[in-house]
Amino acid sequence: MSDSKGKASQKVTLASNDGSHIEVDRVVAERSMLIKNLIEDLGDDAIATAPIPIPNVNDPVLRKVVEWCDHHRGDSLQSNEEENDNRKKTTDIEEWDQKFMQVDQEMLFEIILAANFLDIKALLDVGCKTVANMIKGKSPEEIRKTFNITNDFTPEEEEQIRRENEWAEDR
Amino acid sequence: MSNLRAPTARQAPQPSILQTLQATDMIESKPVLPAEILVAILDYLPVPDLMRFARASRRMREMVYDDTRWVARLRNMGCWDEAEARRRFDDAMKRRHELAAHAAAATATTLAPGATATGPTAVVGALPPPVSTTLFDASVEEERQKQLQQRRQRQMSQVRDGFETLQVSGGQAATPPKLPVQAPVSSQNDPSKDLEALLQVIKNVKSVRGHAREEYGKIYGALGPFYFDLAKARTHTDPIVFQVFRDPESQARMLANLRLFAKSDWSQGCTQREEKLGTMVTIFESAVLREFEQGYEFWDVGGRMRKYAHVLDILNGGNAGVELFIHKHPIFTDRDVLANPMDCVNLAPADAISLEPSRRFFDVLAVKVNAQAAIIERIFPSPGPVFSAFVEKVREDIVAEYTTPLFDETHERSIPSYLKAVSGLFEQTLQFFRALTPPKDTNAPQKQAAKEFALKLFEPHLDLYLQDELDYFTKETEHKVGEWEKKLSAQDTSVESFYMASFNNRQADKKDFLTSFKKVVMMPISVLPTSLSLPGLPMGSPFASSKPTIVTNGVAVSPQPSRPHSPSPSSLASTGTVDQSSSPLPGGKAPTDELAAKAALMTSRLEGIKSLFSIEVALSLVHSAKASLGRVAVFIQLGGQAGGEAREQCEAIFVTLLRILGGRHVKPGFDKAVTHLSQYNPREVSQHDKGGVAPLVTFIELVNVGDLISQMIDVFYEQQLAGPKIADRNDFLDPAGLAKKKFEQMLDESVAAGLNKGIDVLMDEVEYICATTQLPTDYNPGASSEPSSAGGGATATEKEGKAATPRLQSSFGGGAADFDIGPTATAQRVRDLVASHTNMLVGSTDKSMLDVFNGEVGLRLFGAVCKHLKRQRISTEGAIKLIADMNLHFEYIRTLKNNDLLAYFRALRELSQIYLIDARHAKEMATIIADGDRFGGIFRAEEVYEYAERRSDWYQVRKDVERAMYGRDCVVM
Repeated sequence: MSDSKGKASQKVTLASNDGSHIEVDRVVAERSMLIKNLIEDLGDDAIATAPIPIPNVNDPVLRKVVEWCDHHRGDSLQSNEEENDNRKKTTDIEEWDQKFMQVDQEMLFEIILAANFLDIKALLDVGCKTVANMIKGKSPEEIRKTFNITNDFTPEEEEQIRRENEWAEDR
Repeated sequence: MSNLRAPTARQAPQPSILQTLQATDMIESKPVLPAEILVAILDYLPVPDLMRFARASRRMREMVYDDTRWVARLRNMGCWDEAEARRRFDDAMKRRHELAAHAAAATATTLAPGATATGPTAVVGALPPPVSTTLFDASVEEERQKQLQQRRQRQMSQVRDGFETLQVSGGQAATPPKLPVQAPVSSQNDPSKDLEALLQVIKNVKSVRGHAREEYGKIYGALGPFYFDLAKARTHTDPIVFQVFRDPESQARMLANLRLFAKSDWSQGCTQREEKLGTMVTIFESAVLREFEQGYEFWDVGGRMRKYAHVLDILNGGNAGVELFIHKHPIFTDRDVLANPMDCVNLAPADAISLEPSRRFFDVLAVKVNAQAAIIERIFPSPGPVFSAFVEKVREDIVAEYTTPLFDETHERSIPSYLKAVSGLFEQTLQFFRALTPPKDTNAPQKQAAKEFALKLFEPHLDLYLQDELDYFTKETEHKVGEWEKKLSAQDTSVESFYMASFNNRQADKKDFLTSFKKVVMMPISVLPTSLSLPGLPMGSPFASSKPTIVTNGVAVSPQPSRPHSPSPSSLASTGTVDQSSSPLPGGKAPTDELAAKAALMTSRLEGIKSLFSIEVALSLVHSAKASLGRVAVFIQLGGQAGGEAREQCEAIFVTLLRILGGRHVKPGFDKAVTHLSQYNPREVSQHDKGGVAPLVTFIELVNVGDLISQMIDVFYEQQLAGPKIADRNDFLDPAGLAKKKFEQMLDESVAAGLNKGIDVLMDEVEYICATTQLPTDYNPGASSEPSSAGGGATATEKEGKAATPRLQSSFGGGAADFDIGPTATAQRVRDLVASHTNMLVGSTDKSMLDVFNGEVGLRLFGAVCKHLKRQRISTEGAIKLIADMNLHFEYIRTLKNNDLLAYFRALRELSQIYLIDARHAKEMATIIADGDRFGGIFRAEEVYEYAERRSDWYQVRKDVERAMYGRDCVVM
């Protein structure tokens, strides 16, 4: 019991790839499954003394992620079993998250990548939903731009795909 | 397909290079999301955006087209059949293998078999098949695809603008005539057919691997517009669904389809859309239900009720309609049906119950319910479940309301009528449920359903009932036995008078001992069962009418089934007739004959044994057991736990029957009989020429009665328990079987104990006869005039036999002069006594036990004869008589078919010959005495010598014999 109490106030330091250190509550950091597993593997002592390096994430993004984690520190971790049920995932984005995600696209993608790397499922979901909302109603060309995709279709091929899926056209 | 694509493929390279160049410009700063994240994003995209996404690049298209994505949607809607998909896949694989084999055979073709399928596309290189994500390239599907494409191409050329058409595929015209935005009516297709196609769209979906997207497309094309329109609608009049489809049936079908379709929608906002759909459906449903109710009020079965019941069924299975129908059904308030259960009690005499009113009740109910079955069939599209729900309600509200108060009431009033009511009503209920004719589509067999209903109805009563049944049976049987015990003394006289008659009868019929004995023994048996088998006889016992099963099969009458030696019914009948024809004779004789009357008095005192247990009580016990069993047995057909309990209770009843019948009735009877038997002392009995030892005769009779009871039980067991599979004959742990074995064992033990005593008694009698009736002159005619110590002793002991003496003297008075060579009267009587007793047992008890008994009797008889011989003095003349006697015994023993015994009596016969040898031939006599072989090892020379001493002239021949035996020089001191 004392352990969990100690855990609540315990701090860990995260080191971004550009050298900045961010001190966060341990519970907040453990929203990331990656960090959680890391702490479990290394042991409490190692954490107390040395910062945890997060090599793939730069300072602004890491701060953003930590902000999200701090806000969601109380959330229950969603279990992996629900993952397969498509409909369970479909809850709409809550208001705070919507505001939180109001960043430029570059940042949005960075957050998603960081969430993916740090294994923060809920954040990743919110990110993906945001992206999905973003590209709703966009033309293929806009989509390409958004995702930096090279078009390797001929116009005829593209037209063929459109025709194949005419049934799905918005009306 | 490759043919079609070939021209486009040639043009492909240039624009794509340009676009690539454009794309590269933008790369620098932007982070690129990996494929896994893109896939995750795609999950959140609505379908139209997905399709635009697919147009972004080949990789994107592959991601979007990925079959699993679409199979998941189809599966969510419940229209993906994995088995069907696999079958199709297997078929395709087979065909491919065949093709491959074919190609391999035709080696002329340069292409490798694997390349035939993929080769051309690879060569052209421009376009992979549209569904490249899976390896599905079955020739058939390919073919179909090709045709589709061609048709599409044609249509494309027809509709020049190439934009407004919403054709999904050739046959599937998902035209949007109903959309307010695009009013145009599909030009090529008949609109009504279109509508039908829309309704059918979900049903027509095929589960084809690799084509899930296309199949989903068909559904989406058909239902999507309606769905999204409905989601936007503000009031229930808005949605186009209700405008396009005017009749409620199509509307219901469409709504049902949309509900299914909603399950495949999981892009954002789907919950609201589904909710909206739900409210629309509810609004629609309540409207339909209102119509249905109105139709119900007017009893418009064929019209509105039927129509709206079908609509409701299409919409969501029609539960609301069914509930309404059953809930408001007039049968539950019908005065004709609701009978007063108390009629069953009130219309019957006190403490009894009449099931006639309940039968009428069920008849009326069955007719009414069956009428409803027809109506239900007309109204509802799937009448089976509706009907069973209806019957369920009838059971709860009508039948249970009828039975429960009745049971409670009867249980309070009297247990027997309660038992009868439960069992009877159960039978009636079961019949009622069976009589119901469910609508045709019911797949569950009605019998099974009937059982389930009956079980549900009776479950709450069953435990109490079964317990009561057993308790009641135990109480009743114990009461019967107790009653009988109380009545014993009173009963004695009545039974004895009857028995006396038969005894006299036997006396009169002296000619054949064997027959008459058997008759005496069989008398009580043959009389009672005859009354059973011929219920019409005036003498009919109470069981004649009340034991139908035993009467009908007649097995109970004939003891044949278990004991092969038992007399057949015909022999019983014949003895019966003999009895009837000859009874007047002794009847008239009995009072005149003082001796016979005395003997009868004596016998009747001992006849008390016979009343130790009575076949009548046994029969009545068996009868009530049968009644209880019959009541409980109807519950067995319920099966399952309830049936098992009923079966156990049946066995318990049987076990109780045996316990009471055996432990309380038969066993004490036997015990008492054995005690009486052991107290028998031949010297205290005045009459000995009656041909039997009275207590033994009665005991043997008891054995016969016991045997009959045992057979009765056996038949009962076979019929009531083993026959209807209540008890398993082969299960050696079965309580009923165990109890039966125990009962039989008890009977056998009692019989064995009795017979053991019986042998003692019989031998006492034999010895007594020998001692009292053998005249000294019998074997020593010459000594008749002179007083012999043996003869004097005999007459001295004959204290009470005075009455017999004159007659004996009259027949043997001239014994001295009498030289006829027949056996003596004593030997004759001994033989007859033993023979009659052993013969009486034939068929009444176990064969092996009988053999043991006979063996024992023979051995003891041998001992008795030897003992008797040593007490006699035998002259050469008397030896002839002795030999005749021994021959008599020998002949008798021969009938027992026991070789060991025969050896003894053969030796005895040989022995008797030493008395025949004239005194002059002492030497030869000595040879015979010493000749061990002659006596088969039964007598040693010393023993034979002892017997030789009994010669009347022994002192004269002794010297010579001894000299011959031990040598000339030997001198006796």
